[in-house]
Amino acid sequence: MKTLCLVCQNVDCKNRGSEQIMAELQKRVEAKGLADVEVKPYMCFGACQEGPNVVLYPEKNWYAGVKVDDLDEITARLGGGPHVQRLDTIDSSLKELIYQLLDTGVF
Amino acid sequence: MEGILFPHGVVEGREGLKEYQARGGYGALAKAVKSNPEDIVKEVGDAGLRGRGGAGFPTGKKWSFTRECPEHPRYLVLNGGEDEPGSKKDRMLMEHLPHLVIEGVILSAYAIGASKAYLYINANYETAIRSMTDALTEAENASYWGEAVLGSSFKVDIEITPAPHNYVAGEDTAALEVIEGKKPWPRQKPPFPVTVGLFGKPTAVNNVETLANVPPIILHGAEWYRRFGTAESSGTMIFSLNDDVNHPGIYELPFGTPLRYLIEECGGGIKSGKKIKAIMPAAPSSAFLPADKIDTRLDHNSMREAGSGLGCGVVRLIGEGTCIVEEVLKISEFFTVESCGQCPACRMETNTLTSLLKKVQQGQGGQPILEQFGKILAFNKGKGFCNLIAMPGPPIESALRLFPADFEAHLATGKCPADN
Repeated sequence: MKTLCLVCQNVDCKNRGSEQIMAELQKRVEAKGLADVEVKPYMCFGACQEGPNVVLYPEKNWYAGVKVDDLDEITARLGGGPHVQRLDTIDSSLKELIYQLLDTGVF
Repeated sequence: MEGILFPHGVVEGREGLKEYQARGGYGALAKAVKSNPEDIVKEVGDAGLRGRGGAGFPTGKKWSFTRECPEHPRYLVLNGGEDEPGSKKDRMLMEHLPHLVIEGVILSAYAIGASKAYLYINANYETAIRSMTDALTEAENASYWGEAVLGSSFKVDIEITPAPHNYVAGEDTAALEVIEGKKPWPRQKPPFPVTVGLFGKPTAVNNVETLANVPPIILHGAEWYRRFGTAESSGTMIFSLNDDVNHPGIYELPFGTPLRYLIEECGGGIKSGKKIKAIMPAAPSSAFLPADKIDTRLDHNSMREAGSGLGCGVVRLIGEGTCIVEEVLKISEFFTVESCGQCPACRMETNTLTSLLKKVQQGQGGQPILEQFGKILAFNKGKGFCNLIAMPGPPIESALRLFPADFEAHLATGKCPADN
């Protein structure tokens, strides 16, 4: 299956710049020719205070507080590079809840 | 049936001052200003009056908490936001019996020691606002409010504030925000308005129907009032029936009246003529009841035991052939739209529940999707500033428990099992 790069577009994340994050990710994915990656908006991951939030699925990597400077590393991850551990700061119970939702196909 | 608020049923037009006085109107106020405010609080407490806005909180207790706060000034807010879909009882009271409501406001202000009362009325209720405005003028000219009420040392000012017409604007702290000139967003609680309310001062926020019960209680006494209803739900309650019955309208009934009486005798039964599949005793946020609970009594305890609640009395009927998945999706979409958006948990919960229900509706996700509802609701329990976050839970969870076949049919075929 395609890798989904889900970028929260709810109010808090947007206020913290998630529209620009999504547009920049889109550009970089296209520039790298990552045909099996789809950058998509997501309604809310429930971690608004820590946004902008980006989740890669089915890899189940959650990146919080993402800034433009972080996007090269995330794009590299989308191309098969290493997990960006320093942005993986979200509580595991919330992660589990959201990953279960994604497993049922709620994108 | 004889009521406490509408003694002769719902009347046409606005009851003027003279007509109200002719049936004892403002007699309770004349009696009150000669007694201690504490006695008024005690009488209302002894009567067992509970809020009619949805939560059923004891009014006497709310007033005691407000009075116990040493800060001044104190405020009274009449909550006539009435944004619950299908509810029209507060509008009817303000349109037809404005003096009853106003006397209730003045008595309550006297009881809690408030020098100012705000009448927070749904801005769409043009007739009710006109009716209340005219009645306020009549009452002021008769010295029922203003300086030296009925020649006593009690003075109170009253002002109308139009309430925005959206769901959360009817929440008590959202009302305070609007009166302070801000947008209708609920506040974090605690502190509760009884201690830190309007402009940071002690404030009692009471529903229109609640305050309309105060004059008869003070005039006739707590013991008389307790003759109506049940031990834990005294008095009457106004129920709203809508287009799903043959005779829509509002019906004032003593607490403890069987639900069947309201549906069949008052409402004339379900309009579609079909068998009843489910009953929502407090639409849209209560749990569904199966049709065999139609003899449940309309009081707080009986409804809780049956697995639902009374809310503010908007009773909805779902007929056989209606798909519950479609019904709860509409309810979930309502709460998603009406969430004010300031609390992340509420935004996440309402959006996710709606997405899950859409998946079910389209037959996607299989059985595991049904397990997600409870998890999302449990994760968000107790979060959020106001109660909206708790509202989608009862309808969704009861629908899953009572009507699993509707969910399974959608998941199996992607089609609605309903025949309409």
